[in-house]
Amino acid sequence: MKVSGTAVLHAPRDKVWAALNDPAVLVRTIPGCQQLEQVGPDAYRATVTAGVASIKGTYSGDVRLSDQTEPDSFVMHASGAGPPGTVSADVRVTLADADDGATRLEYDADAIVGGVIGGVGQRMLAGVAKKTAGEFFSAVDDVLTGRADLAPIAPTAAGPAGASAAAAPAVYTAPQRQRQAVPVGVVLGAVVVGALIALAGVLIGWLIAS
Amino acid sequence: MTTRTMGEPVARREDPRLLSGQGRFLDDLGHDALGVAFVRSPHAHARVVDIDVTSALDVDGLVAIYTYDDLTDRLAEPLPLLIPHPSLTHGRTPYALAKDEVNHVGEAVAMVVAADRYVAEDACDRIRVTYEPRPAVVGIDNARAATHLVHDDVPGNVAAHMVQETGDARAAIDAAPHVLALDLDVERSASTPLEGKGVYARWDADDRSLRVYTSTQASTSVRAAIAAKLDLPPDRVEVVTPDVGGGFGVKIVHPWPEEVLVPWAAIRLGREVKWVEDRREHFVSSAHERGQLQHVRVGFDDDGRLLGLDVRFWHDNGAYTPYGIIVPIVTSTQLLGPYKPGAYRVEFESLYTNTVLVTPYRGAGRPQGCFAMERTMDAIAAYLGIDRAEVRQRNFIQPGEMPYDLGLTFQDGRPLIYDSGDYPASLEKLKKLVGWDDFDACREQARAEGRRVGIGLACYVEGTGVGPYEGGWVKVETDGSVVVATGLTTQGQGHQTAFAQVAADVLGVPLDRVTVTTGDTRRFRYAVGTFASRALVMSGNAIAAAARKVREKALRIAGEALEADPRDLEIVEGVVRVRGVPTSSIPLSTVAVLSNPLRYAFDAESARATQFATAADPDRPPVAEGEEPGLEATGYYSPPRATFANGMHAAVVETDLQTAEIKVLRYCVVHDCGTLVNPRIVEGQVHGGVAQGVGGALYERMVYDSDGQLLNASFMDFLMPYASEVPKIEIDHLETPSPLNPLGVKGAGEAGVIPGMAVFASAISDAEGFAITRMPISPSELFDLRRQHEEDTAR
Repeated sequence: MKVSGTAVLHAPRDKVWAALNDPAVLVRTIPGCQQLEQVGPDAYRATVTAGVASIKGTYSGDVRLSDQTEPDSFVMHASGAGPPGTVSADVRVTLADADDGATRLEYDADAIVGGVIGGVGQRMLAGVAKKTAGEFFSAVDDVLTGRADLAPIAPTAAGPAGASAAAAPAVYTAPQRQRQAVPVGVVLGAVVVGALIALAGVLIGWLIAS
Repeated sequence: MTTRTMGEPVARREDPRLLSGQGRFLDDLGHDALGVAFVRSPHAHARVVDIDVTSALDVDGLVAIYTYDDLTDRLAEPLPLLIPHPSLTHGRTPYALAKDEVNHVGEAVAMVVAADRYVAEDACDRIRVTYEPRPAVVGIDNARAATHLVHDDVPGNVAAHMVQETGDARAAIDAAPHVLALDLDVERSASTPLEGKGVYARWDADDRSLRVYTSTQASTSVRAAIAAKLDLPPDRVEVVTPDVGGGFGVKIVHPWPEEVLVPWAAIRLGREVKWVEDRREHFVSSAHERGQLQHVRVGFDDDGRLLGLDVRFWHDNGAYTPYGIIVPIVTSTQLLGPYKPGAYRVEFESLYTNTVLVTPYRGAGRPQGCFAMERTMDAIAAYLGIDRAEVRQRNFIQPGEMPYDLGLTFQDGRPLIYDSGDYPASLEKLKKLVGWDDFDACREQARAEGRRVGIGLACYVEGTGVGPYEGGWVKVETDGSVVVATGLTTQGQGHQTAFAQVAADVLGVPLDRVTVTTGDTRRFRYAVGTFASRALVMSGNAIAAAARKVREKALRIAGEALEADPRDLEIVEGVVRVRGVPTSSIPLSTVAVLSNPLRYAFDAESARATQFATAADPDRPPVAEGEEPGLEATGYYSPPRATFANGMHAAVVETDLQTAEIKVLRYCVVHDCGTLVNPRIVEGQVHGGVAQGVGGALYERMVYDSDGQLLNASFMDFLMPYASEVPKIEIDHLETPSPLNPLGVKGAGEAGVIPGMAVFASAISDAEGFAITRMPISPSELFDLRRQHEEDTAR
């Protein structure tokens, strides 16, 4: 499945770039993101809760950034699995200067959606993915423009007690949110892909209701 | 006189039960059984790296989780390749649970047994399978390109390559005055019965016996497969087919992984175990059909007579080939329909793709073959400017040429020889029924009104009733009722009625005194299965043979009792009587009593058969030498080869000038399946087939993306026609009896669906003025074709 779209973020490119590469920002802006664990340079493990009504699931996935040409473009590789299925995606993100010091972001995602959501929700997937992506960028924009709470999130050390602090990966946990970014929770990677999993929750809701 | 029911449109006796909710389907059984759910691959092609069940283990109600590593002995081997063929050089079948690799979305990776299905599903959700995805091969073009392989050890993705030729077709075409070439494309569809598969097993540890209920088209063979796979003595395994909510071919495949895994789990656990397929599982883990690319070259004379026909096609067999290459063989042979092709050459490749496996769906390769041949006929007619019906007429095999040997080998390994049929008469009937000769005026009138209408026709011949055999058992009880059993299964064809008509007719008993059991290995032990429109031909004739033996015996015993020559006796309304002397008679029930000499009485009837009640000859044994007690017999029918039914369909469509929506205005069928036992049932079969034909032509397709994900795996997105989309069907019958069997019958089950794509393509082409070469066709596709056609003609 291919999804592409654009968003305008009200900050210069370098600030946008920094925000999109800052786990502390990502964890609070990815819809449904509970935890983002840095597992290596430019590599994260995300834990996302998605669900509708009483049907909830926790999904885990890996996000890796590559081909970074700061501050112009990067490619995000995301893959993850949860009960309703699997998602893997390559998302190319490019940033360009827009008027009034803003940044125009274009994304171009090629996703493989497997499992139940792949077979049952295809006609909805692209739409929901774009919507969720829009919500994500809107949340990032809120951070950039100071509309969102900027309280810093300090990473905590993960790993068993006694492990070397230096070796322990940084873990970013989302603050309690004032608003649920999306009616359905969700997400795996950062930009678009999470929306696909979100849809899984929607579909389960439909199946239960129907 | 007994009212003869053979040939009468008797109402289906099973319908009151089925229509009032009294049916007993697989999921109506085993309410207390443990439930099963499967973890299925979300990837079209991947290595299975790891299966982590840890977090599923604490699910309350979990009983067992099985993966490939748990499978033992023969269960750990690949599932059987049911129909081997010398051309199938690279046959591959799946494991019951995936071993190391998955080759299509939906392939079972782990099996969970739990207190019920809900719990089993919860546990499935917690099982983490790590896959290493590999490139997926999707679509015939990609399979042919073979940039990636489905199976590493199958070069070019080619499972089978087969050529059949009669005469030198290529030379004949090269020498022909006119030559045309066509490229044709048929997409995937599937049987999609409303009831999916299902298996329920119980193991009796004391008796060491297994009973399995399964929604199948081949219970007797399932029994053999289970016995072999689980290493059980066959006589310790019973397989019972309950009511089946549709099969249409998909349930002839066996054993499905679940058909061996569920009984295996029941034995291991000592508990009743049941699995019922859900809709999505059916879409991604059962079977599909139809997908082919075809290239036709044809040479013909100035009159449109075929001189040579050279067909190449590429058949998508999905990830595995458990049912061999029956579908492409049927396409390659049945393509010829009612025509003399001149020299004929057909070559096909059966190709692996990372998609659900492909096995017969009603029509089983014939709809594709019919599409190729009938598109060719229309192309010849258009090229020469001859009426489409006339071109067909000129190429027909004539009734006087029957039996007609086409010089090919059919799907049963026997020569392709048509036994009977009167194609010119069928075509005349069809032209009359649909008003063929007057349609030009209708088309013009519609055009004057700003409407676009078209008419199409398509002819087919269908090999039905293939062997090797079926059997029937008939018994007259001491109350005069008749019980009949046959081993093949029933999926709604009306066997309770048609088979009863056959037995009642032979035995001279009222229809309501006959009951029929099918697909239960406890009741009949030898059978092949229900496929290839064979049930009436095979079991009907077997039951008739058994009933004739019972009748003979009854007349012999009655003759002794009445002191009459059996040749002077008749059976009317269940009473044996001397012809012309109605007072000299004995009820069949009494004959049944006399047939079984007794020592012990348990009711008034049996008392009449005890040793002091009869005036038997004291010097002869009570059961004569060579005789058996009881008024019962078993009969078998095994034909030398298939019998060939035929039919011709015509459709009138209107295509919307703006939206390109395709509306069916009329649908006419002339159908010849030999002697009719029950015209009502035959028409019902034709109706159902036509409905699926409409679906296959206008709505149904399996939409795979390039990664091998089936995008429309639900009835929200897979469009099955409703009653509102199925036209009123006008039917006329022709009856040319088959000389191959005593009843003179031919099969009718698949007939209705076969010419669907061909007839709609013909009618839409007629309305639009350009040839349709790809099916199914949606309004938006037709819209695009119109624009393309306009661009092409503008150039």
